[in-house]
Amino acid sequence: MNNKELIASMAAKMNAPKSVVEVLLETTVATCTELLVEEKTIGFQSFGNFEVRKKEERLSVHPSTQIRTLIPPKLVVNFKQSNILKDKLKDLPHHD
Amino acid sequence: MIKEKISSQEIIDLVASKASVSKRAAEEFLKVMITSIEEALLAGEVVKIKNFGTFKLQWNEPRKSVNIQSGAEIILSGYYKVAFTPDTMLKEQVNEPFAHLVPVELDVEIKKDEQEEGAEIASDPLRIFTEQAFEIKNLIFEIQALSDSKSATSEAAIGLENITEEKTVNDVIEDERAIKSSYNEDDLDMIEVENPKIPERAQDLSTEDIENPAIINLISPEDKESKLISDLSVTPYLENIKPTKKRKIWMWILIILFSLSSLWTCFYFIYPPVTELTRETIANSQYSVNKIAENMSISEIVNSISKWFTSDAKPANKPVTIVIPKDTNDFDSIKQNQLIDSLQYLFDNPLVYREFVATERINEGSRLTLMSKRYYGTKDFWVYIYEANKERIPNPDKIAVGTLIRIPKLDSRLIDATNPRCLKKARELHDIYVK
Repeated sequence: MNNKELIASMAAKMNAPKSVVEVLLETTVATCTELLVEEKTIGFQSFGNFEVRKKEERLSVHPSTQIRTLIPPKLVVNFKQSNILKDKLKDLPHHD
Repeated sequence: MIKEKISSQEIIDLVASKASVSKRAAEEFLKVMITSIEEALLAGEVVKIKNFGTFKLQWNEPRKSVNIQSGAEIILSGYYKVAFTPDTMLKEQVNEPFAHLVPVELDVEIKKDEQEEGAEIASDPLRIFTEQAFEIKNLIFEIQALSDSKSATSEAAIGLENITEEKTVNDVIEDERAIKSSYNEDDLDMIEVENPKIPERAQDLSTEDIENPAIINLISPEDKESKLISDLSVTPYLENIKPTKKRKIWMWILIILFSLSSLWTCFYFIYPPVTELTRETIANSQYSVNKIAENMSISEIVNSISKWFTSDAKPANKPVTIVIPKDTNDFDSIKQNQLIDSLQYLFDNPLVYREFVATERINEGSRLTLMSKRYYGTKDFWVYIYEANKERIPNPDKIAVGTLIRIPKLDSRLIDATNPRCLKKARELHDIYVK
């Protein structure tokens, strides 16, 4: 499901025009991005937490060329699902 | 680091004020957003939000674990996890504070305290090196002027040798001469012994022709402390020759692989048309498929070549369909080897069903294979009947009762049950249609 399909399904549920939903989704995304840039954790009730984590610098060795590379530290966004969502997912049958 | 946690209520307030909508509307929107994402995920879909990221389900395999109290083995059941991959936009924005850092290749292990500054030092290693080379040079001259002991001079000679590694051999000799002139007569004996060695070593090093900023990083901070570069700094330098040579070998392997693959693609595109052409010309000359073929001019050959390149540009490697020739009866008096060639020709060309022997109505218990056996002698050739009636049969396994099936007239060579190639071809088609 891509952005357009998501907007379409949300618009159908809310009985609102797609354009309104699109604007709202964009603002939400922008707000979340801003908060994450400030290194704040965002918790969506019953869904999960978005959190910024710092990955420390590390030394990586290329397995074939043996070249050592110093990877600088970085900040990444991490998502952790809530227990409510996890329980919901438990009902899903696994087929592979 | 304590992070401030923002609850969904705060998000609602922020969105409401930004989008200038009521809080209730924003709340409803957020609720709907989360439920629709959840629903899509539960349906096994991947949810992508523009400029934000992708939500995806990830299956975690069940694994064994141990009960800490009793030590008994327990099996943790597998579970689904929502994996979130941030969009590049979000990734870059969040990583803004560290965006200026880039991965640095190291060839020598760096001391811990240097690691933090690793990126900055590497930014301009050559300038730092030259500065320090000058410093050391000055120091050596000072030492030479002050000390008159032999050990000091020998050390100085080794030090100089290391500094001039990056310079040309001429420079090395010139420097040595300068030192020589400044020395006392007592020291001269010592330097004369050293001199013949130095240019040799310098030449050896210059032939290796390696410049590596990372080593310079390692060497330069040490210089400050020990005034002179010790002999040890030469060894890491020599060790570094290996990786570069390896890299060169890899380059060569890549080049060879690339040229091989390009040759293969050339062959792949040119070979089928050429073989087809030769086959066609043989066929034309032998059994007059084309009435004018007897006096086939060069221009026609050229035309047929261009036809192969234009209309049939997709090479004949995927003969999904089969041709039925228009004139079947003329082919009875052909030699065996030509038969094989024309068979391949039949296999590789798109099919046209024009003539039909009979029409059958599907009853209870009718089978395409049975029809095939009746008309062609073998069950395997049912695929041709299916091909001829494709538009009426959506599924070859379930044909509606009452469907009219036309039995196509087939080239006798195509349904030769004694020819293993025909059977093989029919089975290939069978595999394509029955999945």
